[in-house]
Amino acid sequence: MAYRVNRFRWGVNGFGARLIERCPPPWLVNRENIAYLARVNRILHIDMDAFFAAIEERDQPSLKGKPVVIGSPPDRRGVVSTANYEARKFGIHSAMPSRTAGKLCPQAIFLPVRMSRYVQVSHQFMRLLDSFSPVVEQISIDEAFLDASGALKAWGTARRLGEAIQERIHRDLGLTASVGVARNKFLAKLASDLQKPNKLTECPHTDDAVQAFLAPLPIRKLWGVGSTMEKKLRGYGLETIGDLQRCDQRHLNAWLGPVLAEHLRELAAGRDDRPVTTERETKSISAENTFDEDLHDPDLLRSCLLGLMEQVGFRLRKAGLFCRTIHIKLRYGDFQTVTRQVGLDHPTCTDRILIQEGMKLFQGLPSDQRAIRLIGFGVSGLVDSQQDLQQLDLFSGGDPAPKEALLDRAVDSVRTHYGRDAIQRAGRLAKGQGH
Amino acid sequence: MKVIINKDVVLEGLQKVQSIVGTKTTLPVLYNVFLKAEDDKVFLTATNIDVTVRTSVQATVSREGGTTLPARRLTSIIRELPATDIEINVDDKDVATIKAGSSRFKIIGISDEEFPALPSLEEGKTYSVDQGIFRRMLLSTSYAASHEESRYVLNGVLLNFKEDKLNMVATDGRRMALYEEPVEFPDELAGDYIVPSTAVNELLKTLGAEGKMRIVAGQNQITFEFDDIYIVSKLIEGTFPNFRQVIPSACEERVMVEREQLLTAIKRVSLVSDKSNTVNLVFSKNHLELQASAQDIGEASETLAVKYSGKEIKISFNPEYLMDCLRSLTSDEVALEISDDLSPGVVKCDAPFLYVLMPMRVR
Repeated sequence: MAYRVNRFRWGVNGFGARLIERCPPPWLVNRENIAYLARVNRILHIDMDAFFAAIEERDQPSLKGKPVVIGSPPDRRGVVSTANYEARKFGIHSAMPSRTAGKLCPQAIFLPVRMSRYVQVSHQFMRLLDSFSPVVEQISIDEAFLDASGALKAWGTARRLGEAIQERIHRDLGLTASVGVARNKFLAKLASDLQKPNKLTECPHTDDAVQAFLAPLPIRKLWGVGSTMEKKLRGYGLETIGDLQRCDQRHLNAWLGPVLAEHLRELAAGRDDRPVTTERETKSISAENTFDEDLHDPDLLRSCLLGLMEQVGFRLRKAGLFCRTIHIKLRYGDFQTVTRQVGLDHPTCTDRILIQEGMKLFQGLPSDQRAIRLIGFGVSGLVDSQQDLQQLDLFSGGDPAPKEALLDRAVDSVRTHYGRDAIQRAGRLAKGQGH
Repeated sequence: MKVIINKDVVLEGLQKVQSIVGTKTTLPVLYNVFLKAEDDKVFLTATNIDVTVRTSVQATVSREGGTTLPARRLTSIIRELPATDIEINVDDKDVATIKAGSSRFKIIGISDEEFPALPSLEEGKTYSVDQGIFRRMLLSTSYAASHEESRYVLNGVLLNFKEDKLNMVATDGRRMALYEEPVEFPDELAGDYIVPSTAVNELLKTLGAEGKMRIVAGQNQITFEFDDIYIVSKLIEGTFPNFRQVIPSACEERVMVEREQLLTAIKRVSLVSDKSNTVNLVFSKNHLELQASAQDIGEASETLAVKYSGKEIKISFNPEYLMDCLRSLTSDEVALEISDDLSPGVVKCDAPFLYVLMPMRVR
């Protein structure tokens, strides 16, 4: 198995806020080591059980043993975010409309989403994991991968480490987690999902046993197989991972194309060489919006773009960064995509400058009659200090920069407390339309 | 209207007015030059609404009248005509027939009724000044004006008539050029007039080396009248910042430098300064060292021998700002005055001129 540097994309953006892979950890450099480690269960997937609901139950002990649903109230539009295990007994699950959930279980207690509280607990969870291994990759608010390679000496086996983590989560956080232990990320995530809550599932580690372990599982357990793909595969008579393992390679290539076929065959054989990544260096920040219907109206486009700029500026300042380059992106109804970028004289995080330069770019784009399907705005060339050099101003009272920084900070703080759209530039209200 | 006119004469006139004609305007008639034949003259007028330029040229007028014709096209046509005598005959549908030698053009114009009315040449506060001096003053200051729309009030040159002096000031907030000329002016003229850069550029293009110019200053508009030219400009509304306040009362160190030598040295070392655009001036005993460097490019330095016995100072400036000033001056030597790395530097010369420049702060 060759060590491969993977590149991921995250978030909604297409400008590619890329997470750059860190260097291979030192204990992985040796080739024999790599071959050996590939066969040893050393990857943990830790998945908090009914995270939001569990936090509410812990914070309000009176909820214990009752069906609890986090999400919109049942008399309103909206969906279930999380349901505790009591509520799941009634058939309630995430993403179900709250109305349906209310009908399934009228006695369920509906609670609003307290995201800031969950984020706080999530930080505690991640800090706890960090104390076990330096190689931890958070993949969402309530789950993470952990590479136990360096901790095996101290703990003996990855299973023992997993049990210790479960204990600590229970003791320190008053919550439970399910853990999957396997030789790679795909198998570990799959394993943690097999038994819940508060269970540890270890995947076998020999090739044959892994194949046998996977064979009875439904095809949608494979990474990258969603409902559409599942339907398609079922159409070819592939119901379980075992069906896929036995499927002729040529047929699979013909049905799915060689790239996807290879991806699925690798997974079906239990092979996945994505390493656990720790360092996340933000290379760019961007936001984009795909319209429900393709748009012609330049005022609406401008108003939407303005909203994206404010979002990006907010995230830029929140990260304490300054950008040297700004980008805009347009995708037309026919999927042709154009991007433009401009370098700035001085790194900035001021909304006014982002907007001023971004709008210039937007206006510089060839105007034609085609409708716009998507519009995006992004910044890159991120640096953590504004500039090494600053041109001083003669009439410092006339320099807008300090006042603008204050204004941005005030607006950011309103948005932090009251939400993204609590305060916005008048330009976003074009034709009474916000985004 | 029907006139016979000399090619070179009309071409010179057109060139004076046509630069004000916009390239992007919503009003088609603003692409045109307004021609009006009267007595033995043809008046040529162009405007961008804010600034209007009018001149007149000698012509043989056989039928008086007026029209507007596309300025750039008319100028190119006349420039290429083969003969010196040109006949321009405009019919009542504003179609102009231009004949010279065996060439014949028919150009479609727009009625002069659609041309914005000329600003009335109001008899306001008048003042006469030497064209050469005024031009010199504009040349020494106008480059420092701001082009940033957000600093609208700085998008021009300030004429400040005060205490027997005409102070001409331009600044973009980072550097400021000031030229003070002792003049006699009527008391009622005292005050501030901010002339927009478009009008200033027009003046720089048309002002001669000598002869008088009459300035008529009104409430919102100013007129410059010289030779055969009128330039009428709206004034920038707003209050110009207090320029006196940013002139350092005294600087700690002063050094005399050969202007041309300093200019070419800055030009050389700044070839390696990148977009951040900085040149360091390091003053030490009898030396002035210029340094520039950029992370991805490299570095450069050059040392000038100067008479300097003050403290060691290292100060960073935007080289363009320094060069703008040095280029505009004519004297052989300039004085550089500085105090420390964060205080403004001052450039002086043998003229009543002053340039204040803020340094770059190195973090």
